[in-house]
Amino acid sequence: MEYTLLRTGFRRAIVACQNPAKRRVAVQPRRYFATPVESQGGPDEIRAAPPIRFQSDDNQFSQSRPRAELIDNANFSRGGRGGGRGREAGGAGGGQEVDYRQLLRRIRIVPASPSYFTATPRYTDDLLHLSSLLRAHQVLPLLPPGQAPRVAWKTIDQYKTELAEPIRSKSYNTLLQLLKRLNYIHPSLMPQEVTDALEKYKRDVQPHLNVPNPIVVNEYGVARAVGRRKSSSAQVYVVEGTGECLINGKSLTEYFGRLHDRESAIWALKATQRIDKYNVWALASGGGTTGQAEAITLGVARALMAHEPDLKPALRRAGCVTRNPKRVERKKPGKLKARKMPAWVKR
Amino acid sequence: MSSSMCLRCLKRSLVPIESSLPLTAGQRAAFSTSPSLAANPPKKTAKPTKTNARQGKTLKLTKNKRAATTRPPATGERKALRKRVVLSNTNALDVPGLQDLTTDSVSGVKLRELQDKVAGLGNDTVDALRALEAFKPTQGWSLFRRPASLVRRETVELAELLQAIQDSNGHQVERRVVFGEKVGGKSVLLLQAMAMAYLKGWLVVHYPEAKDMTIAHTAYQPVTTADGKTIYIQPQYTAHLLGNIAKANRGLLSNMRLAGQHQLPVPLPPNCSLLRLVELGANDADLAWPVWQALWTELTTPSQPEQEGLQRPPLFVGMDGVDFIMRDSAYLDSEAQPVHAHELALVRDYADILSGKTSLPNGGLVLAATTGSNRPSAPTFHHYLNRNHAEAHLPTLVSLRDRLRAQAVDAHSASDLNFAELDSLLSTLPPSLADQLHTFRRRAMASQRSNASVAKFLAACDTFQPELPHWDPYLAIDQRVADVMGNVRVQKLQGLSKEEARGVMEYYAQSGMLRHTVTDGLVSEKWTLAGNGIIGELEKGAVRARF
Repeated sequence: MEYTLLRTGFRRAIVACQNPAKRRVAVQPRRYFATPVESQGGPDEIRAAPPIRFQSDDNQFSQSRPRAELIDNANFSRGGRGGGRGREAGGAGGGQEVDYRQLLRRIRIVPASPSYFTATPRYTDDLLHLSSLLRAHQVLPLLPPGQAPRVAWKTIDQYKTELAEPIRSKSYNTLLQLLKRLNYIHPSLMPQEVTDALEKYKRDVQPHLNVPNPIVVNEYGVARAVGRRKSSSAQVYVVEGTGECLINGKSLTEYFGRLHDRESAIWALKATQRIDKYNVWALASGGGTTGQAEAITLGVARALMAHEPDLKPALRRAGCVTRNPKRVERKKPGKLKARKMPAWVKR
Repeated sequence: MSSSMCLRCLKRSLVPIESSLPLTAGQRAAFSTSPSLAANPPKKTAKPTKTNARQGKTLKLTKNKRAATTRPPATGERKALRKRVVLSNTNALDVPGLQDLTTDSVSGVKLRELQDKVAGLGNDTVDALRALEAFKPTQGWSLFRRPASLVRRETVELAELLQAIQDSNGHQVERRVVFGEKVGGKSVLLLQAMAMAYLKGWLVVHYPEAKDMTIAHTAYQPVTTADGKTIYIQPQYTAHLLGNIAKANRGLLSNMRLAGQHQLPVPLPPNCSLLRLVELGANDADLAWPVWQALWTELTTPSQPEQEGLQRPPLFVGMDGVDFIMRDSAYLDSEAQPVHAHELALVRDYADILSGKTSLPNGGLVLAATTGSNRPSAPTFHHYLNRNHAEAHLPTLVSLRDRLRAQAVDAHSASDLNFAELDSLLSTLPPSLADQLHTFRRRAMASQRSNASVAKFLAACDTFQPELPHWDPYLAIDQRVADVMGNVRVQKLQGLSKEEARGVMEYYAQSGMLRHTVTDGLVSEKWTLAGNGIIGELEKGAVRARF
């Protein structure tokens, strides 16, 4: 096959060198000409392409099959007419006796997807697939705005790494918009194909799935919650009662000498005027006095929210809901403490 | 008509030519030197002269000297200022309707009506208590108009006890130790007991601070007893105590005369009243110890009601900070070994009375209060406090078990039994018994839930043998303390109930020291913040808190 090409090429080159009038641009495919230049016969005669013999095998275009097949040179004849070029695409499949040589001359290789001709075929395929899904399911009811399940989509870098294609951020944002729109479909009516399609674009680890276990009131009416502050942590059990409070088996005054710490520990109850409605039993460990008091504050607030969820805004205003993230800063080399520098010496 | 002047002069005479004041602003000059010329010459202002650092005066900082012009305080003045007790605050409001504790009202029945309310103290009572040093500077007497205290459940019980002792006509002596959390009201309970005893006409003896006897702040000297043992007397402190007794019991002592003969370094007048004897000892430290011995001999002689001057009323002996006498004192003997507190003569006398070794033939109440905030380590004493406290509750626990057992024998299955009593008792028990009851309760509940046969529950009953706390045999026990505490009843002072808390907070509000309206919510809040109603913390949170 290459031999034929070479021969034709050389012939033309010789002609072009000898006769300047016959110099023309290197090999031009015949089909660009509107009308046949030469008469019938000859090696460049245009003929209708032979019909593509489609096979009934469903897997003829599947990607799992090898697209290329090495053909033994010895079996190949030279007299191959210029009909088909390129290699055989997609084997004939098992069971059918195919004359590869004949097939090669007659098949027309088409790309699996039209996106082959774009700069980013896989991206284009994805975009088109999602667009088709959207078009198919755009009448499905949606969740109210802001209530779609929170999903961590892949970043553009992760996506690009996967696809190994140059994708602009604008392009990726378009894709993300489609994903988000598809995500809004009501979960009770979400089609399986949409779910499967969206799964591909989600990150491996979904941080939004990491929800804390809800604090429940058990069969004895006790709610257990944990609070932390600095390096102290406290397990707090809150049950309806008359206002008693025990911490590590001791009463509030025995455990906290400071009135401020005592008030802090039951601040959640004090702010909502429910001190005489609940009993508190706490186990505190770690840290110091005030750290433990604040840890108990958080624990009591969480346990109280288990009993009465409507108190959350009131407790937030009281400052019991947010866990204070401050921790002791570590000492750094070259400094005396975390920030304190040694005395400055002129020289 | 012709005039003497010309027309022009006539005109001029009518219109003034020049006036001293210019008529219009235009006629005033824009600039004039007249004012400036007429003014006084300018005063020379003192210009700050540039001082050369090398010349002239230099800055001298004086040494930080204490002002030597003030008078140094006299000996004991600072201590007196530190230890003074202020009982009145004129800025506080007078509480209308504040009933006093009187001789009538301190009978048990009448006092019940005053329960959960604050009762004041009369002037005589206050004088007597002040003489006994019953008021402490750390207490909150100086915040209110008059000394007053809450009548608690324990106060009413004490009043009933005093009544019972008085009615027994000298046959009953109650010996008790009161313990509990710090600022729990132990000292004030002691004060109330003293006040009630005083009002009933008892003789009141009080050791205001046992610590003062044992921390080696007062002189001591060894004395050999008849048995050959060495005890240590503290003459100055004895004199001080005798002075207190004399001042507080003046009326009663002056009516009593000596019943027997006493050997004193100085001769006594023939018909000496007890007051005279006590004052003798109070004024002279050398006589203090013999007088003390004589006084106690007198007080422990049986009363002879028909003889005039030989009636002896019941005796109230109180001590605050009794932990300090249940351990080694800070004194050293001649071998430089620590002297046990029970080797001090005064302490020995009290320990004998508390343990019952010395009987009080005329009846009485021996009450001791421990200290919470200033507690020394006295392991044997604290073990016995816990043990005796548990011992007091043991019968109720055993009877409950027996009752449940009797019920179980009749019942068909474990689910028929009622365990409500277990729950109610659990909260009132001391911790050592409460743990054991909790284990028993768990087994009982388990058998109830699993609907097991009664036999399982009966087996649980049989294995439930509540025990008192044991002393660790690997630790050295203080035998002297163990002997004293073996026979003494113990009372734990817990927090107030909500009604009592309400009563005291209403008193604070009526005194003007608490500016909020006393609602149930406020009472509950302060009660919880006070560690379930510890009265000292309640006062701190309600009255002393500064915002």
